[in-house]
Amino acid sequence: MRAIPDAAQPRRGYSLPDAIVFALTAAGAVLMLLPFAWMVSTSLKSPAEVFAYPVIWIPRQPMWSNYAQAFGIAGFDRMFFNSVFIATASVTLNLLTSSLAGFAFARLRFRGRDILFALYLATLMIPGQVTLIPVFILIRALGWYDSYAALIAPSAVSVFSAFLLRQFFRSIPPDLDEAARIDGAGSLRIWWQIALPLARPALATVAVLSFLGSWNDFLWPLIVIHSRDLWTIPLGLSMFQGQYAVQWHLLMAGTTIAVLPVLLLYAVGQKWIVSATAVATRGNA
Amino acid sequence: MNNHARFTAFRWRSDQQWEGYVFLLPSLIGLFVFSLLPVLFSLGISLHEWDLLTPPVFVGLKNFRNLFTQDLIFSEVAANTVFFCVAIVPLQMALSLLLALALTRRLPGAPLFRAIYYMPVVTTIVAAAMIFQWVFDRNYGLFSSVVWGVGSWLNAPLAPPDWFNNGFWARWAVVILTLWKNSGFTTVIFMAGLQAIPRVLYEAAAIDGAGRWQSFRHVTLPMLSPTIFFLAIILIIGAFQLFGESYVMTGGGPGYATMTVVQYIYQSAFSYFRMGKGAALSWVLFVAIFALTLAQWQLQRKWVHYESNT
Amino acid sequence: MTHKSLWIRALAAGLALMVAASACSVRPVEPAAQPGSDQPAPAAAEKVVVRWSVWGSAEELASHQAVADAYMAAHPNVTINIEHTPWDGYHDRLKTLVAAGDPGALADVIFLGQDYNRYAESGVLEPLDDWIAKTNYDLSDYWPTVIERARVNGKIYGLQRDLDLRLLYYNKAMFDKAGAAYPNENWTWDDWAEAARELTIIEPNGRIAQQGIGMETGKWSMLLAQTNGGYLDDPRNPSRCALEDANSLEAVTFFAGLIRDKAAMTPADLKQIGGDAAAFQQGRVAMIVQNSSRAPTFNAAGMDYDVAPIPIPKGGARVNNVGGARFVMNSAARNKEAAWAFLSWLQGREGGQAIYTRRGDMFPILRSVANSDDFLKLPIKPDNRAAFVVEASSVRLFTFGDFPEYDEMNDLIIEPNLQRIWGGEAEAEATVRDICQKVNEFLKQNGYPRP
Repeated sequence: MRAIPDAAQPRRGYSLPDAIVFALTAAGAVLMLLPFAWMVSTSLKSPAEVFAYPVIWIPRQPMWSNYAQAFGIAGFDRMFFNSVFIATASVTLNLLTSSLAGFAFARLRFRGRDILFALYLATLMIPGQVTLIPVFILIRALGWYDSYAALIAPSAVSVFSAFLLRQFFRSIPPDLDEAARIDGAGSLRIWWQIALPLARPALATVAVLSFLGSWNDFLWPLIVIHSRDLWTIPLGLSMFQGQYAVQWHLLMAGTTIAVLPVLLLYAVGQKWIVSATAVATRGNA
Repeated sequence: MNNHARFTAFRWRSDQQWEGYVFLLPSLIGLFVFSLLPVLFSLGISLHEWDLLTPPVFVGLKNFRNLFTQDLIFSEVAANTVFFCVAIVPLQMALSLLLALALTRRLPGAPLFRAIYYMPVVTTIVAAAMIFQWVFDRNYGLFSSVVWGVGSWLNAPLAPPDWFNNGFWARWAVVILTLWKNSGFTTVIFMAGLQAIPRVLYEAAAIDGAGRWQSFRHVTLPMLSPTIFFLAIILIIGAFQLFGESYVMTGGGPGYATMTVVQYIYQSAFSYFRMGKGAALSWVLFVAIFALTLAQWQLQRKWVHYESNT
Repeated sequence: MTHKSLWIRALAAGLALMVAASACSVRPVEPAAQPGSDQPAPAAAEKVVVRWSVWGSAEELASHQAVADAYMAAHPNVTINIEHTPWDGYHDRLKTLVAAGDPGALADVIFLGQDYNRYAESGVLEPLDDWIAKTNYDLSDYWPTVIERARVNGKIYGLQRDLDLRLLYYNKAMFDKAGAAYPNENWTWDDWAEAARELTIIEPNGRIAQQGIGMETGKWSMLLAQTNGGYLDDPRNPSRCALEDANSLEAVTFFAGLIRDKAAMTPADLKQIGGDAAAFQQGRVAMIVQNSSRAPTFNAAGMDYDVAPIPIPKGGARVNNVGGARFVMNSAARNKEAAWAFLSWLQGREGGQAIYTRRGDMFPILRSVANSDDFLKLPIKPDNRAAFVVEASSVRLFTFGDFPEYDEMNDLIIEPNLQRIWGGEAEAEATVRDICQKVNEFLKQNGYPRP
């Protein structure tokens, strides 16, 4: 049964409860934004203004040079490229493996499917810390230490993505594949020509989520990356934290550089996230 | 016919037998190499004493036994993890549901609000924790500034909490950071669940004379129960795996107040080279999460309402 | 398109991805640094590369670079490749490299601040005794106890770069404003506490605008040494916790009292602001206890400060730290001759020692450098160089624990419980007894004392 979108309903104007809800929601939104505002504001402050009281929200003279310094000290251009490259490669591989697996679990009938699916779900519960050391040793054994592959390969497969896509594929009416099979289409073709195009919103969700996972990861790159040329942005951020002192103005300039791309990405992709999670969570988990 | 019956009713198709495996192959390889094999490896490590430099010594279940019989702080970190679970899961659920209800009311600017509430979700946890370290700074922080501002306006001596020197408040600082960071995610999922509830059900309830609360209680909640179930599982797992929030913001302190099991694992293995102990701890955590999830799965029949297809 | 051709296309795509992935695994630059690619250099060039790993802030890195440049200028055939990692992560990275069993991935000469004994015992480090003998390197110029401390099972595996002397740094402007007298070498704890209270500013609403003393975790424990107390009865082979003894308790209550009166910052507040040096630099605290590594940063910020010897309790003893990071050689270094030549130059009167000293980075480990104009007449702050000499005279081996499980015991048992005292959540005496009970239990579990 499809839901009728709320927006399709005629609207009579706003009531008093609406106004109260609006005010509370808006106040909450301001609270959510304040930390970001401080991040940006601090990134433009002079060191003296950072620890001024009362809080200075608008620096007397915006120190754009903080950004230049952040780029200059840490070589952010190279790190930016590394982060983008690693995240893009992870997303591509992740989409491929997860959509194949999700499709198989949702639409193909084969012996052992449910057991395998249970196995998948079980791995979802493995805390990442359990596998940290063994995976590190494995990466060394494969000769991938200190390479892009060390960062990309472990994130090429995501159980959560496969799970999400499986939920989505289950919501596609079975009549569609049955009709295609009668026309002589094979499973791969149904996957490619029917399931994937229909699943575009879910794929976008998976893409955004895995991009974020890769972009924001800090611990793993710290462990497997050694060369400065391969540093990612979160690793570069740690540059600002010297041996003793935290330089908040530079730290926040770097943080802004790290956070801005993902916020932009989210601004572009947010409508897919919502519609796809709708289907994903409705598929009788 | 309900879904469960339908699920068992279909026959395995021989032509899809090998295709299924081929489709699964790439992700199975990844799963095997980066999850299952390492998990078994770590199980092996948990039965040894190993400092990475000298050869491992097999000690059987000693690492596990020690955790429960003579470990000096395991009970502290386990209690903290339970606290975070009990504090975060219901609060995040309730907050997100309220927010989702508000945002599905067709308020002006609702899409903008939704975008704003989701922003922290995409922010790296290291950055978020650093920002909140400042928010809760007793002398220069945003929170204290507001309290003192209100205090001088009311002409009353209001004192903000000393977040990072007091265990009680430090824990709540971690809870607040987690709520700020993650509520957007749960809200979006709740919104999706709410929007999928057929309007005819509300119309029918209205015809039966149900008020706002009754239609919430008898239509919204049951129809949302699969979403709540899904989120309960995800949130509990997340609470058990809490690490970055407290590690970056409070370093686990003051005292043991915000030290989580995962931080204990991390420190035991990477700071003190007790690989066996770290692996044993991670297995205890894994089993705890697994048992909780299994229990929820069993209980779901009692309260989760699945929309029937007939 | 047929069913089959789609399979073929998918296979091709998969292959292409695999090729792409394997291409990714090739490091993009400088194969010279790649472990395993160490073919002997062509004889004609006689070029030697020495890989040198260091940590440090931007300023500290600049000093390392200056040292490397000076060496390369004097030795044109040698290239020093600096491998820099920030302090956070530096030693973790070393640990993982060692653990992964690929010593070739480590640099040839390593600046090592932690885990020295562990690496020495496990063969990661090159014993230097033969090199020292072969080149007649002079060990007699070192401060006393330094070389003794460097021996592991009788062998020397590293040469300490500096004495990590700690001094009392004070903000002169704050003292002037409060009308307080500057600290001097005759100060006792009472003078110190009095000044700290005078320099603490609490606003009517309870906001703390400025505090007297900022002592980081681990530094306040110098107070323990001054009262001749400590954590353990024997730092190397402990049999019991000594924190509950009367002289230890004196130090704990002194510090707890300062914190209770807000005259000293709590460890949590110090972490919050980014450490004592940051608090000092930002004018949040009037006095800190620090080594000389932060002086360049204070000077760059144009601070008005000086140093004094650390005040001592009545009847207590002046004591300072003999600790400091070392330069060590990787036992798998490709060219050990070149590595030793560089290392011994780093530790030489005219080489690294002089350059680091002139840049104001450290207190020299060589007595001749410390007593030379390079140090005493250094035209940069802090001015009171005599204070260093006073403290250097009191250097002795004091450590609260020098056994493999010490960090674990300190981080997991002692430190968290002390934090509860500092935070005012727990009463000092009872908590110290509780700590000792747990420490004794920990020692028993780990087989201490050992026969």
